[in-house]
This record gives sequence, C-alpha cells and structure tokens, in this order.
Amino acid sequence: MSGSATRWQGLVLIAAVSASTLWLWMSGQLGLYVAPRHEAFVTIMAAIGLVASLLSAVAPAAHDHSAAAPRWNRLLAGTATGISAVVATTMLVLPPATLTSATATLRAINSTSQSSASAADVASAATSSTDAFSINDWASILRQTSDLAFYSDRNVTTIGFITADPEDPENMFYVSRFVITHCAIDAQAIGLPIYLENWGSTFEADQWIDVTGEFGTNRSRDSSQAIALLPDDITGIDQPTEPYLYA
Amino acid sequence: MSDTLLARTPRPDRHPRWRISPATGLAIGVVLAAAAFGLRQLTAGADFTLPNAIQDLLTLSYSVLIESIGFVVLGILLSVMVQIWIPASWIVRVLPRNVVLRRAALSLLGVFLPVCECGNVPLARGLIVKGFSVPESMTFLVAAPILNPITIITTHQVFGFDDGILVARLLGGFAIANLIGWLFSRHPEPDRLLTDTFYAQCAAPDAARDHDHSASRWTQSRQLFAREASAVMPALIIGATIAGLVQVVIPRETLVALGSNPLWSVLALMALAFVISICSNIDAFFILPFVGIFMPGAIAAFLIFGPIIDIKMLAMMRTTLTTRTLIQLTTIVALMSLAIGLVMNYVG
Repeated sequence: MSGSATRWQGLVLIAAVSASTLWLWMSGQLGLYVAPRHEAFVTIMAAIGLVASLLSAVAPAAHDHSAAAPRWNRLLAGTATGISAVVATTMLVLPPATLTSATATLRAINSTSQSSASAADVASAATSSTDAFSINDWASILRQTSDLAFYSDRNVTTIGFITADPEDPENMFYVSRFVITHCAIDAQAIGLPIYLENWGSTFEADQWIDVTGEFGTNRSRDSSQAIALLPDDITGIDQPTEPYLYA
Repeated sequence: MSDTLLARTPRPDRHPRWRISPATGLAIGVVLAAAAFGLRQLTAGADFTLPNAIQDLLTLSYSVLIESIGFVVLGILLSVMVQIWIPASWIVRVLPRNVVLRRAALSLLGVFLPVCECGNVPLARGLIVKGFSVPESMTFLVAAPILNPITIITTHQVFGFDDGILVARLLGGFAIANLIGWLFSRHPEPDRLLTDTFYAQCAAPDAARDHDHSASRWTQSRQLFAREASAVMPALIIGATIAGLVQVVIPRETLVALGSNPLWSVLALMALAFVISICSNIDAFFILPFVGIFMPGAIAAFLIFGPIIDIKMLAMMRTTLTTRTLIQLTTIVALMSLAIGLVMNYVG
C-alpha cells in the first residue's frame, strides 16, 4: 500500500465509525448497540475522534520512511483495508437494526438468568403480586419451578418478539427479548414459551407482539417444556423504541 | 528526535505524490463528514431487510466497534502524547540499573504509556533505537498491553474480581514478560534477534532516522494520529467482524461443549484470541458473552495470550524481530498461558 493510502485509511475509518456513532446518538438509536451507561463516553470520544481525524487530515503529509513490507504482509494489509472499508460503508448505509430471532435461537433462550425474582418469595404472596412482573422476572421464575399450582390465577402480560421454538416450531414460539449488559455482543436471550397451534398462519418470526394469558400444561408433544403460556390475546405491535432490556 | 521514543526506518527521502493545502484539506474533510451524516440520514429509513444471520453479524460487529471506538481514540491520543510530548529522558532516568529490576520496571512502564498492543510495537522499536537491549524492549512489548490503565479498567469493568480473572491476567502478564526478558537475555548476541533491516536502522546515526525534526510538535502529533489510526483501525474492524461472525456461525451448544472441558476450553479460547487479534483495551468486552460458557482459566488464558500473540501482532512484530525469534516467543507465551489456564481450571 502506498504511503498516502496508509495516511488516509485510518482517518477515514475513524471518521466513518465516529460519524455513524454520533448520528445514532442524535437519532436516539445508540441503545441498539450499547447499554445506556456507556453512551456518554462513546458519544464524547466519537466526537473527539471525528475532530481529531479532520485536524489530522489537514496536517502536512509526513515523509514515508517505512520499510518495504514483505508481499504477504502487503496482501494481508490490503485485504484488511478492503474489508474494513466495506464494513465502515455498510455502517453508514444500512438502516440501524436490532438483533433478530436467529441470534436468540443460537444463544439458547433462558440459558442464563437475568432477574432476581424468587419463586419462593412469590409463592407466599397474593397472586396480584405478580401482575407487574416483567418478561425477565417470569423467565427467571420459569427456571425455578414448573409446579402448575404456583402459576394458577396469575395473569401474564408482556411484549416481545417472536422466536420459533426449535423443538416444535409449528405450534410453539417464544415471546422473547434480549438483555444487554455492555453492548449487543453480550446479549442474552430470554423469553416465555407460548403454545399456539399453527401460529405461523397468523404471525411470523421476529414480529413484535403484546400477549396476555396464563401459564398451563404444555400441550405440545415435541417440546420438552412442561408448562407454556396459553394466550388469551395476542396483538401485533410496532417494535418499541427501546427493544432491549438492560442488565 | 530527543523528545520521542519513536524510531523510523531510514530510506531516501521522496516527495509526497500530491500536496493538499491545510484549508483545502479541512474543507474536504468537513464536506466528507457532512456527506457521511447526510448519507446516514438518507438511508436510515430505507425499507431494506437482510437475511437474519447477516443482519445479526453486522449488528454484533457494529456494537463491538461502537463500544470500542472510544477506547481506541483515547489510546491513540495517549500514544501521541507519550511519543511526541513526553521526553524519552524522563523514562530512561527513572529506571534502575540492576538488569532484573530494570526489566521489572520496564514491564510496568505500560502503566504510564497506556496504549494497546499496536501502539507498543513502534514504542518498543523506539526503545531499542534509544539503546535499550532487545530483551528489555521485549519485556516492555509483552507486558505493556496487559499492564496498562485502560486494559485494567475495562477488564475490571467486565469481570470485577470474579474468579480471579483480573488478578490472573495482571500477574500472568507480568510473569510472562519477565520470563521472556530473562530467557532472551541469555542469548549470546541479542542483536541477532532483530531483522537485518531494523538492525541496520538502529546502527544508523540519529539524523538518518529523524525525519520530522523540522515539523512542529502539533504537526507531528497529527501525523502520528493518522499513522496510528491506520495501524489500529483495520485490525479493529476485522477483529469486530470476526467476533460477530463467531457469534452468528457457531451454535451455543458447540461453545458450551468446548467451554466446559478444562483443557479444550483453554485451547479453544487461545485459538480464538490468535485469530481475532482484538485490541487488549477492549478484549474483555469481546469475551464477556463467553463467560459462564467457558471455564475461568480459558477466559484468563484468552486475556493473557491474545494481547501478546495474535495474527495482527505477529505481522507487526515481524518488522522488528526475526521469524525464528517470533516462533520462540510464541511458543513460550502459549505454553505459559496454557499453564496458567489449566492451573485455574483444575485447582480453582
């Protein structure tokens, strides 16, 4: 790679990533990628990065004294630059998006607990004590008990996106959410199993829904889940402005 | 050159192919930045859907990029400050004369030179040019990416003191760096560890490698920012993309199967560290989703091995050290990281 190309590539890449980051912050969508507690640092440093890139672009070119690199090294550097340029460009061109049900499936829904809700505490309280439970709380309770008596007369209302159940994709799906600790790469999928025969004829994967119902015996033959949410009502909704939950 | 540790390879001067005046450059830069914002605004609402796997690959890669860009910019600015604004004599003056203590002090130098591994290669070259021995500079090169404030802060932010991962990373980095320094100091002719090109450069008089002595520090700072950005950014974006790819392609069951085995978990994460070549300042964020799947010793081995040896670092170190030296270095660091990981998994 020539010296002038080397001189510009880093500045252009920092400027592109910084500009994209600043735009996400301005449009209120930075939360699609990083947790709110990191937003201030990320935004300030992206602004500094953009200004520093512009100021460095104005500096007179330094003489190129670098030793000639071996051919494989130049090839590697050229490939890296090409891929970097493509990724940076897509960052500026493609619409911002959330993670999808594909990642929820790969990460195994409810493989980790993200709530401190305790079944022992809830069992001794009135059934109305769980009215305000979030999807996160319910997912945690599901990991703790499959005793049907525990769930009777407890209404569940929650929103989330649809992820097909891997064991019985025709009759079961999860109403699911991602919980983010630092950034989207650490997203953990949580969800509640829902039994609805032939759900694919009415809804589709990744669709956002508002669901109301009660937990009961799971009628699916293929699923290993003992209980499932039996929906009274499911309504399609728009994706919320904050699609992730934050740990 | 008196105020900088940075070494440059001598070569006959040549004029840049084209020149841009500062005003034109700034105007072009501002227009391009405005165009980037305009393009972003224009395409934001596009009704365009990619297949889920590709969409998630991009979302995951962007999230790593956005999370780490702040630390990368900070690292480059600190690197510029250290290389251009802090006199080399300050560093030389405070170091002990006893070789063991001197290497121990050099391995802690990263605390004051908080750049990630990419920035350390030019710094280590600068130390050799300044007259430090090759093993001493290698001690710094190995330790600095781990024993520096930004890496310590991000590792602590992610792990706290859970499972002894942070402590293992810091002590492991220190021990390996000093072992490397001691082992290579036994070499009868340490200068033979260097490539011929770099050795010739070290032997050259100061004036031959001092190309920016006429530029102001402000100008040198901006030139260095551009050069560091070019070294770091492609590696960061590739690392983020591979990080995303691994997440999208490899099912959790596979990772869980690998991660719950004391030996394979360590080997798998060391291999991952080697391939993704992610920056030590942000590697803790990268490995976060693997916590709970992989055993603590594997996470610690990833955090110790990755900053010292990976594809990107080998390519950068090859500018300075011979292939034979790099093979020896890689073997020692890999065995030490593996040993630390196994001890943590079996004893912890």
